[in-house]
Amino acid sequence: MVMLEQCRRRLGPGATFYCEHFHAEAGEHIALWGPSGCGKSTMLNLISGLLRLDSGRIEVDGVEIHDMSEGQLDQFRGERLGFVFQTFNLLAPFTALQNVMLAMRFSDTVPQKEWKSRATMLLERVGLDHRLHSKPNTMSVGEQQRVAIARALANKQRLIMADEPTGSLDPKNAKEIMALLLEVCTEEEVTMIMVTHDRALAERLPKQFDCVGLVTEGES
Amino acid sequence: MSLWHIAWSYLWNRKFTTCLTILSVALSVGLISSVLSLRQELEKRFAEEGQAFDLVVGPKGSPLQLVLGSVYFLDSAIGRTPLHVYEDLLKDDGFVEAAFPIGLGDTYGGFRIVGTTQGLLDHKWEGMSGDIRTPFALAEGKTFEAPYEAVVGAVAARKLGLVIGQEFESMHGSIEISEELREFDHADRPFVVVGILETSGTPFDRAIYCDIESIWDAHGAGHGEEHSDEGAEELDWSNSVSAILVQLHSPGQRFEYEGWINENTDAMAVVPIQVISDFFQDFLDPIKGLMMGVGYLVVVISALSILIGLYLSIMQRKRDLAIMRALGASSYEIFGAVIIEAFWVTTLGIAVGWLFGNAVTYLLGLILAQEYGLVITPFGLSSEEIRAFATVALVGLVAGILPAWQAYNGDVAHDLADRQ
Repeated sequence: MVMLEQCRRRLGPGATFYCEHFHAEAGEHIALWGPSGCGKSTMLNLISGLLRLDSGRIEVDGVEIHDMSEGQLDQFRGERLGFVFQTFNLLAPFTALQNVMLAMRFSDTVPQKEWKSRATMLLERVGLDHRLHSKPNTMSVGEQQRVAIARALANKQRLIMADEPTGSLDPKNAKEIMALLLEVCTEEEVTMIMVTHDRALAERLPKQFDCVGLVTEGES
Repeated sequence: MSLWHIAWSYLWNRKFTTCLTILSVALSVGLISSVLSLRQELEKRFAEEGQAFDLVVGPKGSPLQLVLGSVYFLDSAIGRTPLHVYEDLLKDDGFVEAAFPIGLGDTYGGFRIVGTTQGLLDHKWEGMSGDIRTPFALAEGKTFEAPYEAVVGAVAARKLGLVIGQEFESMHGSIEISEELREFDHADRPFVVVGILETSGTPFDRAIYCDIESIWDAHGAGHGEEHSDEGAEELDWSNSVSAILVQLHSPGQRFEYEGWINENTDAMAVVPIQVISDFFQDFLDPIKGLMMGVGYLVVVISALSILIGLYLSIMQRKRDLAIMRALGASSYEIFGAVIIEAFWVTTLGIAVGWLFGNAVTYLLGLILAQEYGLVITPFGLSSEEIRAFATVALVGLVAGILPAWQAYNGDVAHDLADRQ
């Protein structure tokens, strides 16, 4: 499902990201684990095409993305990748329903006539049937992250990239959100790559990838 | 969930600053709109009445003063013309269809008393839009048939509270006089109201009409007085007129006959529509140009406010734009959404500005109607206004390009990582 081969990316003066090999099978749930600055978020950005490789090869869902144009990458992200961020990253002017529909707006995966019904179904799935028309600033942090999970599944994505998904939540909410994330990804047979600095959280996923050493000081 | 909706949602999300930006555009558009519509409506009104007569004949002097004084009753007469000029015009069958003498000099309650003949009140002409204009149509009563019978314009009647059968005393000149000078009033020869005109929305509503013999009689014949309008020559009032309004057989004869009168008589002939056109071109157009210049300067300032407003907004929501990119939005869609925001602000600014400008024109129109009898009808949309608005829209869109370009070139990974 996801494969990185000898991927190199210069991050700035004296810092370089290098990953010799990474591999995730379809349906797998993998934690990219490591302390801050070790390169786990860079790896996530490379897999999603938000950062370009200097050299190497990345294949996602059978598609080599390192050679894609900007337009192709936009389309690729919209159709195949779902994001769950630490700070939820919902768009403030829009309701929960609209935030989920917005993801469908930027992809051709779901026909327009189904946007509303699918967004409603997803929000009901994450337990927010009573919050469809609420704006993010009126919702609790747990509810906002639930909307983000629903949004990440809006286009029937095959791969969810979760960047510290529980980092802004209290322990109770963190536990619930993590359980929900694993549950929906299992149900939908979605591959999940989760970035975390929390070893205990990483161990809740069946497979871990140790990111320590991905970023090195000096030219390599 | 179109880009239009997305752009609108972001504008709505920051209502206060959006309203301020729209207001700045509206102010500039309002200024432009009011200048254009006021100028256009004024010219239209003047042109309508300017078409009423092919020529105005009067004493030599200022053509503009002659026309403003005798056609629009906005200025004092420039002097007097011997009566035989009028009589000669009446005899000239080759050119003259009709001629109406105008005797000015007296007022009542600030409204001019116009001595003329019954023919003027029957005068009608084809307006600029092809309709037949009859500003002297009677609303009630009858036309004057004897000396000291008066037909009162609608505004004058309303303002002065004159009704049929009521008597009033005229006053020399057009300014209030002291008690000591009241002896010069024609208190012993009152006018009686016999008719009131329908409202026509023209300067004719603001005058009082009587037989010219009343004017002659009041100023000398049988009264022994000799006085004149401001700056007028001393002439025998019973053998002179202030001006003559002339209708020719054809408008095509205007310039030929104007030239003939100017070359072969002591009087001055002018084509009123030409005089008014020159007046607008020489006097009002530079003012219009200046006001338009100010308007466009404000447009530039408004464009800057659009640019700054959008730019700051883009800076504040770089993360939102990055999220959209992560969700699959293309750079072009992000660019388009920001340009649409500029479009919304500019379009709403133009719409509000147009309403504002025409509201100002409407209020100024009330004053013009009150003071000068010029009824103007705002809330139109001329081709000149459309061109000006298109320019404003273009400037607004150009102002949106820099912020849109900033959004287009955003570093998605960096902006997503920026946990502000």
